[in-house]
Amino acid sequence: MPQTRRAFIRTTGIGLLSFYVAGCKLELTPGEARQQDIPFQVLQVEQVRILEAFGEVLLPGSAAAGLAHFIDHQLNAAPADQLLMIKYLGVDPPFTAFYTQGLAALNDTAKSVHGVQFFELSVDQKIALTGQIALANPDGWAGPPAPFFYFVLRNDAVDVFYGTKQGIESLGIPYMAHIEPPSRWGE
Amino acid sequence: MTLPTEKVDVVIVGSGAAGSAMAAKLAAGGKQVVILEAGPERGNRDLISSGIWARRLKWNGESVVEDGENPVGHVFNAGYGIGGSAMHHFAVWPRMHEEDFEMRSLYDRGLDWPFSYADLQAHYDQVQRESGIAGDAEKEIWRPPAEPYPMPPVPRFAQGSVIARGFDKLGMHTAPLPLAVTTREYNGREACIWDGWCGAGCPIGALANPLIIDLPIAFAHGAVLQANATVSRILSNVTGEFVTGVEFNNEAGETRQLMADLVVLAAFTVQNPRLMLASANDKHPSGLANSSGTLGKFIMSHSAALVYGLFDENTSCHLGAVGGQLVNQDGYGKNTHADAGAFGSYQWMIAQAVKPNDLLGMATTRPDLFGHDLHAFMQDAAHGFAGMTAVIEDLPLAENAVTLSSTLDRFGTPLARVTHTTHAQSKLLWQAVLEEGQAVFKAAGAREVWTGPQAAMHIMGGTIMGQDPAHSVCNTYGQAHDIPNLVIAGAGLFPTSAGVNPTFTIHALAARSSEHLLNHWNSIVQ
Repeated sequence: MPQTRRAFIRTTGIGLLSFYVAGCKLELTPGEARQQDIPFQVLQVEQVRILEAFGEVLLPGSAAAGLAHFIDHQLNAAPADQLLMIKYLGVDPPFTAFYTQGLAALNDTAKSVHGVQFFELSVDQKIALTGQIALANPDGWAGPPAPFFYFVLRNDAVDVFYGTKQGIESLGIPYMAHIEPPSRWGE
Repeated sequence: MTLPTEKVDVVIVGSGAAGSAMAAKLAAGGKQVVILEAGPERGNRDLISSGIWARRLKWNGESVVEDGENPVGHVFNAGYGIGGSAMHHFAVWPRMHEEDFEMRSLYDRGLDWPFSYADLQAHYDQVQRESGIAGDAEKEIWRPPAEPYPMPPVPRFAQGSVIARGFDKLGMHTAPLPLAVTTREYNGREACIWDGWCGAGCPIGALANPLIIDLPIAFAHGAVLQANATVSRILSNVTGEFVTGVEFNNEAGETRQLMADLVVLAAFTVQNPRLMLASANDKHPSGLANSSGTLGKFIMSHSAALVYGLFDENTSCHLGAVGGQLVNQDGYGKNTHADAGAFGSYQWMIAQAVKPNDLLGMATTRPDLFGHDLHAFMQDAAHGFAGMTAVIEDLPLAENAVTLSSTLDRFGTPLARVTHTTHAQSKLLWQAVLEEGQAVFKAAGAREVWTGPQAAMHIMGGTIMGQDPAHSVCNTYGQAHDIPNLVIAGAGLFPTSAGVNPTFTIHALAARSSEHLLNHWNSIVQ
């Protein structure tokens, strides 16, 4: 039987990620997880630095919104539970290699062109390189197609920044949920 | 629910729009029905209002290999779990037009459907009453003969009025979009609140999906549904004249068989021919019921023509249904854009409710923007964005087909490979319609107009029906020509794609087929 909207709203929670730290379950937003320096399960520290720097170019504020924790959490979930948009963009799971290879290619390009890692580039250099990969593979690019990698990561950043109740309402749009996202992402 | 161990009357593979509709009708007709669903169990409480969470409703089963110049976008267009793709469909339910049923006779294209619009009209009307459709029959000047709509039309919000202004200035018509969404209380279902979460599933029952419409009827008449049951093979008797049941793998990975007098394949357009091809045997060496050689062929997918604009006025673009507020079918005639070398029908779905993120979200319409420019665009678009989508008819081509991959799934069944390249004249139609859409937006006063890429919308064909067993897989009721107790349900039956959304027609076909099966049961089953 259909449910009444009022009944749903009474039982809603907020959009949090669940983390197990020292045997204790913590339910945090991606942004809170970043603030509390919650350990990553899939991504390495350097990959996180590249990802957050790239995210800040794609959509400023996405790093603080927890882009890296959001992606890491999804990559750590079972394929059936992963909620990344890449799942319907013609890439078969698991998706970890797509992200790690793309980040490596981005970083290698930065080192090849400028001699430093991507997160060490100036703001203008990061923007110029991002604009470049949005259009075509740079010389020597060894990852998923650069424009596609740009497209996917850009949409991940939009997801974590504008895809939540807080993000939608930041645009002046009422969320109007029948059922708000429950307490745990990816399950 | 406990799965029977003895032979049942009917086993239905798939619980989407077609499978659920067949289950409801056959169970109500007194048949013992079992539905096997490859995906997980799902209820209304799982339909979370979130573009991110809604991705759970998309295909998550065995991989589908896609190639050709214009892939069909299987994961995005297919569904997974109880209700199938109908759980994330937008409930745009227009009827096909009379000429759509005579594409060979009138235009020398594809095949004629094995019946006329007049033969299907009563079933359209029946489904319309049962499921509830909101519309305005008088303003829908293109509508073929039909009963009036049982519910008043969907409301027009600012976005609809803004875009309608452009159609008006160009001398074109608009009418409320026919939606299977409640505009008032209907058969115990609440009225829609126009929140734009259709694609995430509608838990309040305003949108006609299988959880609301057909499965409750099926269950009330004793039907049993087994989730996480992946059918890998259709079983047939030694002579190959009849099917006897299906082989499936349950959640524990155990292989089981369920015998039935009638097997209904309703596993969506790609998986149906995959299963039939993978069930080849010595009596059917090229695939089950494939004596015509057409099994898997004539896969079609509507191209979506996407037009967007920014207006100075507040469009309230978050309000309404994701399918849209208005429809225009002025270009439905097959030769509207013949001067551009195009052929086929199309309709505009106008003023679609939109969210910031996800593949159909505002941000994705401008993939060129990033950084502070993207933030600025989002702030602007939240108040002045407008969009509309045209459904472009895809002409059938034999080389667009489902075949078997050499890669096996975890149960040993070959994966499906789907090849699709848009017919050249359909591609020209898509381009011409994009031009038309931009002209409409400019006439409406948009300060900025842009378009999206060619995108695949709906998947049809592959198990086409026709009068001639030499050129089609199924007869007029979806029975395989070669095996009368093997029935196909869904958009795979369509010999041509028309220029409208397929779900209403899928329901009408299921009603027609079920009626025939019940009336001729003893002559159909072994």
